Amino acid sequence: MADWTELQEALADYSVNCNGNARLRKMQRDWSRVLHFVCSDSDLRFSMDVDHGEITATRLGHEGTPDIVVTTNSETFCDMFWGDLNPVQKYLRGEIQVKGTQEDVMRLDAISYVIWPES
Amino acid sequence: MTNAPPGSLEPTLRRSVGTATATATSAGLAFAAIDYLGVVSILAYAPGATAAFAVFVGGIIVLLVSSVFSELNGLYPTAAGIRLYLSRAVGNRTALSITFTYMTTVVLVIAADAFLIGAAVRHVLNEPSVLAYLWIVVLLGAALAANLLGVRLAGWLQTIVTYTVLGGTSVLSIVALFHVGGAFHQPLNLFGRSSFSGIQAIAFAVFLYAAFEWVTTTAEEARTPRVITRALFISPVLIWIVATFFTLALTHVVPFATLHGSAYPQILLGRAALGTVGEIWMLALTVLTALNTFNGGFLVASRFIYAAAREGNLPRQFARLNLNAVPWLAVTTLTITSAVVAAVVFATGQWLLLVSVGAAIECGIYAIGSLCLIRLRSRVDRVRPFRLRAGVPLASLGVIVFTTLFLATAFADPKNSTHFSVLPFSVIAVLGAISTAYVWQVVPRLQRAHVARHAAAGPRRRPARPAPEETATQLEE
Repeated sequence: MADWTELQEALADYSVNCNGNARLRKMQRDWSRVLHFVCSDSDLRFSMDVDHGEITATRLGHEGTPDIVVTTNSETFCDMFWGDLNPVQKYLRGEIQVKGTQEDVMRLDAISYVIWPES
Repeated sequence: MTNAPPGSLEPTLRRSVGTATATATSAGLAFAAIDYLGVVSILAYAPGATAAFAVFVGGIIVLLVSSVFSELNGLYPTAAGIRLYLSRAVGNRTALSITFTYMTTVVLVIAADAFLIGAAVRHVLNEPSVLAYLWIVVLLGAALAANLLGVRLAGWLQTIVTYTVLGGTSVLSIVALFHVGGAFHQPLNLFGRSSFSGIQAIAFAVFLYAAFEWVTTTAEEARTPRVITRALFISPVLIWIVATFFTLALTHVVPFATLHGSAYPQILLGRAALGTVGEIWMLALTVLTALNTFNGGFLVASRFIYAAAREGNLPRQFARLNLNAVPWLAVTTLTITSAVVAAVVFATGQWLLLVSVGAAIECGIYAIGSLCLIRLRSRVDRVRPFRLRAGVPLASLGVIVFTTLFLATAFADPKNSTHFSVLPFSVIAVLGAISTAYVWQVVPRLQRAHVARHAAAGPRRRPARPAPEETATQLEE
């Protein structure tokens, strides 16, 4: 089970990769969302703010009304944010659960796909 | 898998779908231009007002589908639900083969709608028949451009469009009924044509409701799981009301001989009821149905293709995104395939074949859905937000009923109701064989390539975590 420190490291790397990718920023230019994450194997909950495709904040706890809620175990979250797994495969096996519009679910996956196309 | 049990804190989303929108989505996906033609197929087997009785019986049977899909959706409330419950029930490869075949119905419906709308526009504008294909290209081109630009029909607009189509069709049908008078011919003559004709009429009646269950792909945006359940039960009732009015009106004011050779029965009804005004009225409604079909159909199918490519089950080129985050190759391929199918239909005049194939595939899917419910009752022990009472006996009945209806439509002769034909079944068999061969021969190769690419991409990026004993030693030091 991953703790918040590990998740923070993963989120920091994910944010750097996301914000530094020019193509992704252009693709997500009109995408501003509040994301909530729920670790199913612990009480950990955290949030992410995306403003016009830029990840502007990640924090412990849930703040604001979410556009998307993602639920899975903490290890999967860590692997996902480090780009070590393909989120779609986990999603299609029911191991990652998402609440949100189909468009938002796809946009979220697009981040991983554009940064790590071989994952 | 970690499904939140009912009663747990359901997250409140900023943008979520309520019952009215979900019902509109469900009814909008089901009520396409091809449904007007579906009524003609019912009339071929159930003459006169008997067709309305077939629509009623079909609606009752469809409520069983509502129950089955409500339970399955409650178990797997996700856009990938069909893949999940199929793979849990019948294995991953079979699930993939079935899903690929199922998705071909989306292409068939898009192609059929493009053709039918093109034919209707050409007829009303009194243009040469060859111009119908120009209209098909224009419609599909517009749908392609809108999709590539990332234009989506807002939920509220989709709701208005759906209720306008349903309301507009009902109003014109009622006007037609008053206009002509009230005698109902042959109200209960379900087996008048042959001993099998009633079953075939009911099978085509089920087709009028087909695709209403696709609303389950919006489960992730539903306010609560019950929203989808409500939509699954309300939308068939709405379709039943509209289809009944339309069927009764059509059988009253347009002779069947005229209907059978026509690709635009709704336009003929409009003209018979209100002249040119009625014709334009029905043309406008027909064009509006395209908004739902193209918006919903392209979205569902292209996202399915994207996910399949990301999963390694389709060539990865299909996952490529344009700068509007749209899987452009998936959308473009869908459009081209639909245009080719529409061209073949245009050249051969086999539009009723599309109805037979679509109806048979949907009945087959409903039989498989019922089978999934039976299998998952014993395999998945999880709380279900909706649980069908007497689920196993009812689902067993569903398997039998829908298999019978599948056979009734798969061997129907689209052009002659007194004959049987292997043509619809042959088309389905070819589609199924292509899907199965692809899944067994091509997918394993794609998966191996996917794994090799992943391995070649380098070691895990995530830093290794120190082992527990290492951590303990560090703490001691």
